[in-house]
Amino acid sequence: MTNRETGIGRVLQWLDARTGFRTARHVLLDEEIPAGTGWVFTLGSVLLALICIQLLTGAVLTLYYAPTPDHAYESVRFISSTTAGRLVRGLHHFGASFLVVFLVLHLLRVVALGSYKPPREVTWLSGLALMGLVLAFALTGYLLPWDQRAYWATVVTINISKLTPFAGEVVAAVLKGGSTIGALTLTRWYSAHVILLPALLVALVVAHLVLMRLQGSSGPVRPRGKPFPFYPYQAFRDTVVVSIVLLAVVLLAWRGMPALEGPADPTDATYIPRPEWYFLGLFQLLKYFPGTLEVVGAMVVPGIVAAFLALLPWIDRGPERDPRRRPLIMSAVLVGLLAVVGLTALGWRDRPMNAAADRWSLREIGGRQIAGYSGCAKCHSDTGMADPLESLALSRGAEWIAGHAIDPEMIAPGLREPPAARSEREVAAIIAYVRRISRQPYPGFEPKVEVAAAVWARYCVGCHIIDGDGGKDGPELSHAGAKNDAPKLRTWIEDPEAIDPLADMPSFGKRLSPEQLDAIAEYLASRK
Amino acid sequence: MPTSDVSSPEPGRRKTLALLVNSTVAVIGGAFATLLGVFAVRPTRGAVSERWIRAAVLDDLTPNVPVPRVLSVPRADGWYRARARETVFLLWDGDKQVKVFSATCTHLGCQVLWDGEQKEFRCPCHGGVYDANGAVLDGPPPRPLTTIDARIEGRDQTVLVRV
Repeated sequence: MTNRETGIGRVLQWLDARTGFRTARHVLLDEEIPAGTGWVFTLGSVLLALICIQLLTGAVLTLYYAPTPDHAYESVRFISSTTAGRLVRGLHHFGASFLVVFLVLHLLRVVALGSYKPPREVTWLSGLALMGLVLAFALTGYLLPWDQRAYWATVVTINISKLTPFAGEVVAAVLKGGSTIGALTLTRWYSAHVILLPALLVALVVAHLVLMRLQGSSGPVRPRGKPFPFYPYQAFRDTVVVSIVLLAVVLLAWRGMPALEGPADPTDATYIPRPEWYFLGLFQLLKYFPGTLEVVGAMVVPGIVAAFLALLPWIDRGPERDPRRRPLIMSAVLVGLLAVVGLTALGWRDRPMNAAADRWSLREIGGRQIAGYSGCAKCHSDTGMADPLESLALSRGAEWIAGHAIDPEMIAPGLREPPAARSEREVAAIIAYVRRISRQPYPGFEPKVEVAAAVWARYCVGCHIIDGDGGKDGPELSHAGAKNDAPKLRTWIEDPEAIDPLADMPSFGKRLSPEQLDAIAEYLASRK
Repeated sequence: MPTSDVSSPEPGRRKTLALLVNSTVAVIGGAFATLLGVFAVRPTRGAVSERWIRAAVLDDLTPNVPVPRVLSVPRADGWYRARARETVFLLWDGDKQVKVFSATCTHLGCQVLWDGEQKEFRCPCHGGVYDANGAVLDGPPPRPLTTIDARIEGRDQTVLVRV
């Protein structure tokens, strides 16, 4: 080297004499790779890069995350409040998905080229263990944002764990920590996610790599020619593929914010839980095994698949590695793969649409109006002592809001005005509004719609359904405008007996102002 | 036996590939280090804007007598909703002016009290004394009581103070 005489060269030489870093470098990078090793052998490096991304982003996310039911949700919101934070969380979120995808691709490559054959059986087993670990990461990480999705997916996970043969209740109790899914569950899943599992992961990754190096890369089925050094030839392929994959993760993190739904609410019966996409296949499988057969879908089938994979080196014993000459194994794996892809696709199609999609319901709009005239803004305003109604970030359950709305003093003592008397329905509407505003800014509606929404949420909702929400004593009003025009509806609401002497509906002429009557009649007439 | 061109390393190709690999790894590493560093060092979007909060209505005040009020002041502490309780004195001139003093003694931070008979603020810790306008009369305080911006607003004559 030309810089042997220069200062840097001398320093490096001094360092090498004491650390042997040049030898380490040589051992790490100048590994001999079988000739013909190509692009499909880059998948392991992609996984290594993705695992590094998960470890690094995870480490900085812990700077701000708080694993308690009171604060977890808000701390995740806080993380997402800056561009850098959103990006880091996005990388961690989408990186996890990519990790699962590339795990499967890597596994398929190993299976197709028979790389699990002697002497690489233990390398194969350590790889399977790593796959299990990654799924455990996915499962535990899913709970941490403590939003509705996280909470309800965990409820399902823990209920499935009860199906474990012989030890179901014990397993579920260990997963749950306490008597309910709450603070103790969160801390134990957090601890597993950030301490126990990463330690295991690093140890297993090192073991996997050491084993791979001990036995050398399996290479193509029939290597032709002389082996070549890993660096820079195979390293170049690795770098190209890793760069493309990382770019894709960054783009996804940049464009698509990982979802954060409303805070976990154990009392919300309307929420329909759905797992992360890579568990959708399992989710779909469960649907085919109702009742007592459920254990088949939850434990037996996945157990058989896991056992088959673990025993693969002993099932497929011959020395032949060419996939074309191992039709039985290849077709078994292909069938398994098609089943997983098919189930995932079916699970994706079957996914329940959450009622609370992007549209504001009438009750939510009405809740805003009701909060406005109920004096909430006395404190919840720019000059008040609490956060303005527009920027409320809900972190409490429905019962807390209900209690607070009925008597603010009781739950949050301080300098308060005496509360306005509120009906149960008004409180329900305020809760609906607060839940919605904490995950979506108010889009704005026409003033007349807002007035109509408040009237509906205060009165009509007791007996009439609109868009699936409301009471069943009266007729549904989702399409009230199809047969009636506004003047007729107004007369009906004002005094039903004027149109039908036998009407059950009370008259609202005295309870509603002319503006309110106009607004609700026009709104209903607009619903064709 | 045919050998692939990769397995017969030529120095030029080897050098180019090594350069490509090294620089790509450096760029990726640098980009991630920057992102994670920015996130780790600067979690929030600059300073939190100050706000005006209601301290009293004029009807609650007595002209030319400092009236204490405890404010519950929201403080930004990351994701945590912290509240600081802070005592202030509101001095109304009976017309359109309200002066607001912090009750924190400028000496060592004890809370001063209003002595209605002597018409002065007294600090219980080290004997600091201030007049009704917050100026130091006696004792160790180095500065007058801190004044806080205040304004009167609205039909109901609300006193807003800046926190």
